[in-house]
Amino acid sequence: MKRTLPLLILAALTIVSALATVQAVMAQDAITKLAPEAFGTLTRPPAVFVHDKHNEKAKLEECVVCHHGGSDGKIDKSASTEGTPCVECHKVKPAGKATNLKRAYHKQCIDCHRAKGKGPLACGQCHKR
Amino acid sequence: MNAAYEFVTGPLAWLAWGIFLLGSAYRLYSMYQLALKKDAPSVSFMDLGFSLRSIFNWLIPFNALGWRKSPVMTVTTFAFHLCLIAVPVFLVAHVTLWTEFFGISYATLPDNVADIMTLVVLAACLVFAGRRLTQKEVAYITTGKDWLALTIVTLPFLTGFLAYHQVFDYQVMIVAHIVAGEIMLAAIPFTRLSHMVFAAFTRAYMGSEFGGVRHARDW
Repeated sequence: MKRTLPLLILAALTIVSALATVQAVMAQDAITKLAPEAFGTLTRPPAVFVHDKHNEKAKLEECVVCHHGGSDGKIDKSASTEGTPCVECHKVKPAGKATNLKRAYHKQCIDCHRAKGKGPLACGQCHKR
Repeated sequence: MNAAYEFVTGPLAWLAWGIFLLGSAYRLYSMYQLALKKDAPSVSFMDLGFSLRSIFNWLIPFNALGWRKSPVMTVTTFAFHLCLIAVPVFLVAHVTLWTEFFGISYATLPDNVADIMTLVVLAACLVFAGRRLTQKEVAYITTGKDWLALTIVTLPFLTGFLAYHQVFDYQVMIVAHIVAGEIMLAAIPFTRLSHMVFAAFTRAYMGSEFGGVRHARDW
């Protein structure tokens, strides 16, 4: 029993951490569209965005490419913020000149698509009915 | 398709706006020169008060005799022109583009309201077409230029409606919609649509002549 107890604890910890990892991965997998609750009633159908498939196709390995940090309207490409929802920093109706949530999404997606010459640009390409 | 979209929202958009704005300025200038040459005395009786009085009275539905004589046309044309201007200017999608490109943002119409207003424009276009075909006095003076103007106006709204509802191929439809809108902008100074630029002056001329020369109302 003295030997099995640490083993059991170790096994339990392994299972818990594995589950946590699986859950984290599944959470990303589960992202298929962008419809944060903060928007309330949506004007258009939510933008289609399958997180993992997109990043595989776009060959994105660094989270910070999208999940950037920054302050005072300046993007900091070295401070990764993965796990932090966009709305934490980009309010729907921000005080002052901060980039609002809608514009943040549009800039983040469209500017990159434009720069790369790939990916949707027009409204209905993301906001699919 | 991205290249096509970038072209029509980039260089082609600048070109269309350029033709619209500079063309309108040129048409106003050249029309003024023509008026000086052909109808110089009119300059002496042009009057701001009589001009505004005429414009104001014709802006009220059923106020002018001309409106009362053709009620269907009056309702149609007021609804048409209101929607024609309001929908493209205050559409969420269009304001979003102003924000994306220039950081400009202002009031918008709810999408479902704009949708109905678009149908009003399209229905009005049908009424205008029907009127040109069936009403003798209108059919008599209708030429190809009138049909061209009507077609140019109908297309942006038809393609916009189809693109919004994403029927048919969306990517083709959105590019077609943008091109149709740009054709309309560029056509304003040089087609029957030029009444957008001239209407106020036409009304002002009539109002001034009736007010200052004939001492009568022109509505």
